[in-house]
Amino acid sequence: MAKLFKSISEEYDTYGTISEQGEIVFGQVRGFKDIVDGRSKYAPKEFLISRNENILYLPKIEKKAVFGIRSCDLKGFYIMDRQIYGKDPFYTARRDNTLFINFVCREPCEGGFCSSFGGPVLEEYQIQVIPDGGKYLVMVSEEFEKYMKDFKVVENNEIEKFRKDFDNKMEKLPVEGIENRIKWNSKLWKEYASICISCGACNFSCPTCYCFDLYDREDERLREWDSCILAGFTSSSAGNNRPELDERLRQRFYHKYVYYKKSKDVYLCTGCNRCTEDCPVDIDIKEVITHDYSKE
Amino acid sequence: MGTITVCPYCGTGCQIVINEYGSSQHIIGYSLSPVNEGKLCIKGYSGLSYNFSKERLIKPMIREGDSFRNADWNEALNYSASRMREIISKYGPDSVAFQSSAKCTNEENYLMQKIARMAGTNNIDHCARSCHSPTALGLINTIGAGAATGSIGSLEDTRTFFIIGTNTTEQHPIIGAKILRERKKGKNLIVADPRKIQLSTSANVFLQFKPGSDIALLNSIMFVILKNNWQDNDFINSRTQGFEEFRKEIEKYPPEVTEEITGVNPSLVEEAAMMIAKERPAAIFYAMGITQHIHGTENVMDVSNLALITGNIGVRGSGIFPLRGQNNVQGSSDMGALSEFYPGYVRYDSDNVKKFEELWGKKMPRNRGLTLSEMFDAAADGKIKAIYLMGENPLITEASVSKVEEGINNLELFIVQDIFLTLTAAKAHVVFPAASSLEKEGTFTNTERRIQKISPIYKPPGEAKPDWWILKEFGKMLLGMEDYSSPEMIFDEIRKVIYNYSGASYDNIFPIGKQWPINKDFPEGTEIMHSKSFPIGRGKLIPVPFGYPAERADDDYRFIMTTGRNYYHWHSGTMTRRTDILERESPEPYVEINNDDAMMLKIRNGQVITLESRHGSIKIKARITDKIPSGIVFVPFHFVEARVNELVGENYDPISKIPEFKVVAVKVIP
Ligand code: SF4
Ligand code: SF4
Repeated sequence: MAKLFKSISEEYDTYGTISEQGEIVFGQVRGFKDIVDGRSKYAPKEFLISRNENILYLPKIEKKAVFGIRSCDLKGFYIMDRQIYGKDPFYTARRDNTLFINFVCREPCEGGFCSSFGGPVLEEYQIQVIPDGGKYLVMVSEEFEKYMKDFKVVENNEIEKFRKDFDNKMEKLPVEGIENRIKWNSKLWKEYASICISCGACNFSCPTCYCFDLYDREDERLREWDSCILAGFTSSSAGNNRPELDERLRQRFYHKYVYYKKSKDVYLCTGCNRCTEDCPVDIDIKEVITHDYSKE
Repeated sequence: MGTITVCPYCGTGCQIVINEYGSSQHIIGYSLSPVNEGKLCIKGYSGLSYNFSKERLIKPMIREGDSFRNADWNEALNYSASRMREIISKYGPDSVAFQSSAKCTNEENYLMQKIARMAGTNNIDHCARSCHSPTALGLINTIGAGAATGSIGSLEDTRTFFIIGTNTTEQHPIIGAKILRERKKGKNLIVADPRKIQLSTSANVFLQFKPGSDIALLNSIMFVILKNNWQDNDFINSRTQGFEEFRKEIEKYPPEVTEEITGVNPSLVEEAAMMIAKERPAAIFYAMGITQHIHGTENVMDVSNLALITGNIGVRGSGIFPLRGQNNVQGSSDMGALSEFYPGYVRYDSDNVKKFEELWGKKMPRNRGLTLSEMFDAAADGKIKAIYLMGENPLITEASVSKVEEGINNLELFIVQDIFLTLTAAKAHVVFPAASSLEKEGTFTNTERRIQKISPIYKPPGEAKPDWWILKEFGKMLLGMEDYSSPEMIFDEIRKVIYNYSGASYDNIFPIGKQWPINKDFPEGTEIMHSKSFPIGRGKLIPVPFGYPAERADDDYRFIMTTGRNYYHWHSGTMTRRTDILERESPEPYVEINNDDAMMLKIRNGQVITLESRHGSIKIKARITDKIPSGIVFVPFHFVEARVNELVGENYDPISKIPEFKVVAVKVIP
């Protein structure tokens, strides 16, 4: 891996998961040994969508390689691609210039349900790494094969075996058909609204949420990560068309499990469980999937 | 790369990690923080962009006629110090006053009060006067320490939560969320509030009482407890004093009698009383709903009475939790930025003031200083000639703002130190541009007494400087005070003067902070206070008779207005109103009014109406809701466009001098 890291670092600025004060975050790294193999505290969306930026001109985009992103977080970009790649010039330029080297989790994380959405070994990736006790199984997409010239090629069945083992360890949720089961008048939405504190954490933590707010400040036009839980989100001069919190919460889940599926043929969710983890009032998105709507 | 600091907003004091690399930035809650466990509210996530506003002050300025001219630091500081020196020598030290800020660090508050006292005056005060001065005074009187008795973490052991006068999910969202999580586990939740706040929908018991009837309600809860013999006799006998006399007062408050005052059904009072006394440990939370009354201090003492007779104090999961508004209200009060207290709550007239005289090498003033509002009154009367104000905007936040304006206009020297040119700063003679809390180092003490380190993430814009730097330069010029080279050096002095801070150091409070008292006896800090005894020995039960608020609804003024904050904004809005997402969420002033009242008065949602009190009037948009009971209206005070404090009269708690922001009789004119 050190060798692979080195050849990549000749072309890219290198970033990776590092540990700081007990928190796994992303930062610049100089060598492979700086990288910790652990799940970062957040999905590193900011590599492609800045938290806050002036959109009047495109800044210089550096070539970055990001080591250690988890599969669920990376998958978010592949899902977003269907909506914003090619349309959002900032996202597109960064997407084209960023190489993600995703690390596959060997053990299920607490609360995670990525296997319900096909994880953690991804079908789409640039360079995918399965750490294996000091060894690494590396899967490389065509474009990046040049970095793998000197390595041994192994049989695919090791990966198949890994998948099976993992599936045995992580329970799959009944995701299939949720777009038809979910109910507009479910009591869940009001229940959630009675405790949701509108913090936006579920959006900010989500590897598939891409919405932003646009505003002017003096001579700049800024965009900033936004949250669909807030009343001002997409509000027009006629006010918000979803004035009540329960309507906005429902909209979020419908967008993820109904609308995006219907328009882009994929759920807007990777099973990372981050929204649930960061929600201060323990609203669990898994309940939206597993809830028995037929009884309501 | 990743920098851990503390959210600049509420007293919860959530720890934020700002991870900045290349051109990217990520904001998260710090997972290891016992305060917020990795969570944040919208102000923590999206409330920081004010920092980059182009309206930030970047140069010191000196007034010239109707406008300002830029100056360099040396000139501005020199000018201010020499003007103040002239005023002191001409009119005496009590002709100057200092207003500190609960948004500033412990170090800065300490410095400011030191400058005031070294200059010979106790005229030092800050915004805690308008929020938690009744807490300091009330709780010091009853249990010997004006601070939360437990920790946020200890709420995991709580069985009953009693919330009175705090809209916790909006004002201290992360604590509110913690309570909701515990509620989900089946804990009891009692909510007492005139408004149908969010927590009330999750409550087992909701006591919707009339504004200003707190004491009647609390006393009748205690009436039920004593009648049923549910009190904790062991605790009362071994840890408290004054029970017999106290009991006599309580006997006057059967819930059937108080119902007329509170509007609360006696059976609900009964239920609440049972939970607090029998399903222990119970934790009691309160905020401005208790304090901002002419009976504010008595309200606090009555909360304390309830905790004491039920033995709900000193045990994990129990306790009294005054929720602090600003992120450093606890700390700035600890530091002695209050007219009646030197650092560590040493009263101005106590013998212990000697300690400061020895340490600071000078005779200290022993007279009571002026409180915030008194300072402006005294300025209007010509007794105060100079005010040095740091990080506050009293022209919006004080009661009877017109009086404040009159006072300011009368000053010979008005120095304002802020990050923006606020309404108040625009009236200054000298303006010092300050660094924000994301640009400086120091410590904040949160609502659970946790001393936490803040670290600079960004560089201050232009020539703005951290408040501690400005103060120490000013102190040097005015008084020849020492030249502190860093906030840590100031903190080391704080450790010497405040025993409860003596064991803390910049090293040992990093990263997750420590709760005071931290000293020889408690080197690791103190999670639960008062577990064996109170600092004053026995806790005092003090009979608190009910009295009506200063203003009541009558035929002319038929509504009671109560004021407060909303979720998205912060005080005068200096920061939040420059933060786009927050401003978008709540862009304009409004008054909440009950649907039935609105229908009766033929008011439509969004219609501009007039609110008129005996003291002033404002025009404001109506927001019709069932969250507020009939006869009551609510107005947030953040908005310069409709300064609701023009309606608030000069009714003060005689003990703490807090103004009665919560009960104002008004007319609603469509
Ligand atoms: S994270 Fe939870 S509390 Fe925050 S906005 Fe989302 S659902 Fe609401
Ligand atoms: S709860 Fe308070 S301290 Fe925490 S993020 Fe929100 S405003 Fe900041």
